Parts: sequence; structure tokens; C-alpha cells
Amino acid sequence: MIALPLALLAAVALAMVVGDQGPASVLRHLYLVPTLWAALTRGAIGGGVVGALAGLLHAPLALPAVERAGLTSQTLDGLLSLGLPIVAGLLVGRLVDGSRARAARLAAVLAIQRRLDGPEALDDKLVGVARELRAALRARRLVLLVGADVRTALLASVPVGTLVDPDSAAAFALATGQRVSTADLAADPRMRADEPISSTPVRALAMPLVSGAGVVGVMAIEWSGELSRATRAAAEELALHMGLAVENARLTLRQHHFAEELADKVSVATARLRELDGAKTEFLSVVSHELRTPLTALQGFSELLLRSALPPERAHRCLVYLHTEACTLGRIVGELLDLSRIETGQPLELKPEPIDLAGLIERNLEIFAAEHREHRFRWTASGSEVALRADPDALDRMVKNLLSNAVKYSPRGGQVCVSACPAEDQPGMIELAVEDDGVGIPADQIRRVFDKYVRIPHAETAASRGLGLGLSLVKALAEAHGGRVEVDSLPGKGSRFRLLLPGADRHF
Amino acid sequence: MRLLSAPFEPGALASPRGSAQAYAQVGGAVALLVAAGLGTQWAGVASVALGHAIASGAVHGGLLALGWLLATDAAAGWRGPVVRLGVTMVLASIAARLHPLGALAFLLMPGLLLLEAWRAPRLHAIGLGGARPIHALAGLAVGAFLGAHLLVTASRTFGYRLQAAGLPAYLSAVAYDAGANALSAEWLFRGAVFSMLWRRWSFWPAALLTTALSLLRYLFDPALPHAAEARAGAVFYLGLVGLIACALRAWSGSLLPGYLAALAFFAAYRMLAP
Repeated sequence: MIALPLALLAAVALAMVVGDQGPASVLRHLYLVPTLWAALTRGAIGGGVVGALAGLLHAPLALPAVERAGLTSQTLDGLLSLGLPIVAGLLVGRLVDGSRARAARLAAVLAIQRRLDGPEALDDKLVGVARELRAALRARRLVLLVGADVRTALLASVPVGTLVDPDSAAAFALATGQRVSTADLAADPRMRADEPISSTPVRALAMPLVSGAGVVGVMAIEWSGELSRATRAAAEELALHMGLAVENARLTLRQHHFAEELADKVSVATARLRELDGAKTEFLSVVSHELRTPLTALQGFSELLLRSALPPERAHRCLVYLHTEACTLGRIVGELLDLSRIETGQPLELKPEPIDLAGLIERNLEIFAAEHREHRFRWTASGSEVALRADPDALDRMVKNLLSNAVKYSPRGGQVCVSACPAEDQPGMIELAVEDDGVGIPADQIRRVFDKYVRIPHAETAASRGLGLGLSLVKALAEAHGGRVEVDSLPGKGSRFRLLLPGADRHF
Repeated sequence: MRLLSAPFEPGALASPRGSAQAYAQVGGAVALLVAAGLGTQWAGVASVALGHAIASGAVHGGLLALGWLLATDAAAGWRGPVVRLGVTMVLASIAARLHPLGALAFLLMPGLLLLEAWRAPRLHAIGLGGARPIHALAGLAVGAFLGAHLLVTASRTFGYRLQAAGLPAYLSAVAYDAGANALSAEWLFRGAVFSMLWRRWSFWPAALLTTALSLLRYLFDPALPHAAEARAGAVFYLGLVGLIACALRAWSGSLLPGYLAALAFFAAYRMLAP
């Protein structure tokens, strides 16, 4: 409020006139009161204006004395009284302006720091920071560009809606790290713009924001009219601070992203570990069950043979049961041993020899047909001779596993078709296909069917037994032979497993 | 924002200012007219007052022309407006000498200058736009305060009194200030010179140099009192008026408040008689 100091000034002048005071009146010192008041409240401009007015008001008293008496100590004192309010007003006002500018600068730095520490995205933060900077620097417009390249840099402008020309002064400052300063944008020959020149010059600065990593952005500012040295210094200081603050904010964001990424990875790994742990528990449970079933039969029939004197036919039947269950136990243990070898990376011990594939398949089909009477088995032999060289035991296990799988996943019975022929699309390979019309495999599960311990869940097949190892063993054995196994399936329609093995003329 | 939108050429230099030929032509014409005025006066072809009027009109017209050339970089098309302004100024000056009410012809000058300047868009940048009422009132108040201060200080210090030459003479002097003295000073110094300097420097250097140049113009004015104390007073007040006019131009973006301040100050000054 400049009105109150002016009123006080008028009151002092009136008191001097009414009281008919001379130039040496003590009252003249009262001119300092409104002068200092204005300087403290309005800065150098207020202090200077009120001080000048005080000097002017005192002049009609001081100057006639000089005219009459010349330069004496008294008249010099009067002249000093004339100049003192001006000097005092300007000096005190300047100090006030300086301290206010420093306080504003400090407040801006703190506000910027607070904004940049917030949880928002960097571009959202920059809008707030640009607003703080513009207010602190009393700029007409302020733009922040953050990034190393003007085409990809983040842009925050106050007012909003600024476009960046890649040949502009801001782009130049960003690319070179050099400051661009102009006393008047419209009259600067370096800026090629056909815009009318305004009556007030537009001062502008494009300052690179520099951090330890180099130029991280640009701060472009426009002021209308006067640009004081203090404001320019403040802008430079804030640009320096901004460079470091932006770099810190970027590092913090990067750290946040890294921490989030790490947490995601840990979460995925933990879930996978839980899944494996669950699979292991289930596997142990299934293994125990699978081992217990033949073991119980072995115990029961052996006890029966030991304790009772059975007729020869019945004893023979018991021995057949014992043999069958011992074979089952042996197969399970064999599978577990193979699995152990696969897991430890040991090669499977194969003894390849020429195979009578048709005979092997027919034998297995007879066994399966005897055990699963609700299924129909159909064997389609190739018209031409199928010469295959493989480990007979391994091949037998592959066929058994594929047939067992087909039977398990056709719980309501159905047809299981087996065929063997040279693969049409794979010259030199023999194709053995096992096709069922069972429950099929959902598309999202199909990639897991050859994984270890995996049994694709289905309501109709939940009661069936198995370790979830059969298909993974088929895959491992096929690969050990230099072949592979493929599957096509449609849920509700059935599955077709295709075992491809090298023919007898190829080595594995 | 031009820092981001305008193509930037770091090595581009300012195009050279208007040709010296234009300044020479204006200077030559003014010198010719001043010589003609003083010559006719010396040769007795015309009265002293008439010869003086021609010379005075030529000088004020020259100041307006100089301002025009500086503000437009002597761009093509300057001759027409400059000649029209100069001729009108000389004619108004002659009219003022022929009859006290003839000075009212000076009042045509602000309108004519505005009309001519409005057709040249480059001149708008020197502050031809209107000012807000607060700016205009502030200009008037500051000028009136300084004028009143001058009256009080001059009467108390040097014993000057209010002159009794009559209203027509006073109005004639005020009309001269409105159409020639204050108008040419504001147009050239606060308009062309200050605007040009302020675009390059900050306020204080631009305002001090502008004010120093305008003081020089007044110190060469034969109408200024010759007494040392009166010259010291003139330097003080005219310097203050000049600085304040620069501040008003910077504050408002317009020449009007400074022009009104000068008018108010000179209106008070014209009341003073030694």
C-alpha cells in the first residue's frame, strides 16, 4: 500500500507549511518515515518515488536559502535533507527487493523440490514446476523441455500449448548446451519470425538444464518489459537447480520402476516355486499311491502263498498276479530312474536294434484290448515295409505310454487308432500315430502336456491314476532316438499324438 | 513462444539501419529552411518574427522527421509523410506568428501525426497505442505536480511571478507545446530513441541516455532563459520530466502519459514570468 506513506508525506509537508517551518526544522527528518515505510513495503520503486517526492516537497524551503545565503553549512544541511530521503528510499528499497527476491527464490526451490518428489508421472510434475517457476520469476511465459532430443523431449509450458520447432533457439540450447539470451525477441535478427513488434520489448532466455549427465533439458522464459539483473540471476540459479532436480527425479523414477520390476519378478518366481512345491507334493503323493498298489498286491498274494496250502491252480494264479504286479512295480521304478537320469542330465542308455514295429504294436494292442474292454483298438499298418532301428524296450515304453494316455483320456470308452508309416512330410522318418476320440486338450494347456508331473485336469479323468510322467518320458526317449513327438488336439473331439523316429537307414 | 517456434540462426546479424541518404536529405531540407528563415529575416524581406517562425517550424518538423526515420529505419515511403508533417509544422508556426490565435494550427499536428503514423505499422511499436485511463491520469498528475512545484520553487527562490500577458498569448504558448514542443520531444526521444535503446539495454541506461539527448535539444533551444540559475532549473526539471516520461512509456507501453505529463508541466511553466 503506497497510499498510506503518501498520505503521511503530505501530512508532514502540510505541518511544515502550516507551522511556517524553515529549511532547518527538525520536522524535515520526518520525511524519512514515509520514505522508509514505502521502501519496506514497496521496495526500491516505492522508496525511490516517495523519497523523490519528499525531496521535491522540501526543495521550496531549502533552495531559497541557498539562493539567499549561498553554500553555508546550514544550507548544505538543507540540501542534504533534500537528497537524503531519495538515497535512503532507494537503498533500503533495493535491500528489501534483494531479500524478497532471495526469499522468493528459496521458496521456489523448495516448492520445485516438493513437486518433483511427488508420486505423479514426470510430465505431470513438470507442469506444476513450470507454474512455480513462472510465478517466482514473474515471467510472461515459461516452458520446460526435459529430454536429450527436442523431438522426444517432455514439454511443460505455462500457458499450456506450445509447439517446438527443431530449428528454434530452445532446440539450439538443448543440442549445444549454450544459453540463448535476447533483449527483445521481436527485434532480434537471429529469430526469423514475421510477427508485429510490440511497444514493449520481450526479454527472453533459453537456458540449458545441466546435470552430471550433461544437458537434460531446457528452460525457456519470456518477460514483458524490464528484466532486472536480480531476476536474471534468479533464473540462472533456478535453471541450475532444475537441472539437478530433474536428474534426481528421473533417477528416483527409474529406481521406482526398477523396484517394481524386481518385485514383479520376485512375485513370479515365488508363484513358480509354490507351483513346483505343490507339484512335488502331489508327485510324492501319487508315487506313494502308485507304489503302494502293486506292493499291497505283492504282500497279500505272498502272505496267502506262505500261510495257506493252496491248490496248484490257485497257487499258479497267485503267482501270475505276483508277477504282473512285480512288473508294474518294475515299470514304475524304471520310469522314476529314467526321470532321475533326465533331470540330472545323464543320457538314457539305449541299445538300438532292428525292430519289428508291427509286431510290437500288435502285442501292445492285445494287452490293452484285454485290459480295457470298453475301448476299441484299431491298427492300420503301412502298405510298405516300415524299417525301424530303436531300443526295443524304450520303444515299447513309448507305445505303452501313448496307448495308456489315449485310454486314460477316453474315460467313456471309444476308439483308439494306431498307425505306422513313413512320414510324408519328414523324409527318412517313421511316423507312429496314436489317435483317440477322448476329452481332448484345451489350447492353452497343449504346450504343457510334455512337461514333467503335469496332468491336464479334467472332470471326467480326475479318478484315473498316473504320475504325469508318461508323455515327458515319451518326449525324452523320442529325442534320445533323434526324433520327436507332436500333438494335435481339439477339446471334446480327441487328440492325435505323432511319434517321429528315424528310419533304419538313418543313424541317431 | 518465439524461443520455441521461430527458426533460430545463431550467426545472423541485424540488417543495416536506414541509408544515410535519407538522414542527409532531411537534414539538408531543415538546414535550408532554417537558413531561408534567418536569411529573409537578415535581408529584411520578412519580419524578424516570420523568419524565426519559419526556422522554428523547420526545426520541429525536422525533429518529427528524424523520429520517423529512426523508428522506421528510413524504410521506403518515408518522404510523403515527412514532407506533409514538415510543411504543416512550418505553416502552423507561421500562422502562430501572424496572429495569436493562429497558434491553434499547432493543434492539428498531433492528429496529423497519428494519421500518418497509423498507416505505417512499424511505427506502432514506438508506443502509439492508447493508454489506460490510470496511466493517462498518472501522467497528468505527475506533470501537474512538477509544474506546480516549479511555480512554487521559482517564486520562492528567484521571486518569479505569474505572467500577465493575457489568455490568448498563454493559449498560444500551450498550443505550441501541444503541437510542436512536447509533441516533437515525445515523438523523437521517448518514441523513437527510447524505444530503440530499451530494446537493446535495460531501462536505466536507455532512459538516462534518452533524457541526456533531450536535455541537449533544450539547451540548444534559443527560447530557453539564458540566466545560469534558470538554465540549472531547466536542466533539473526537464531532466525529471524526461525521466518520468521514459518511466511512463515503459510502464504503460504508450507515449500518451508522458506527453500528457509534459503538457501539464509546460502549461504551468508558461504561466511563469521572470
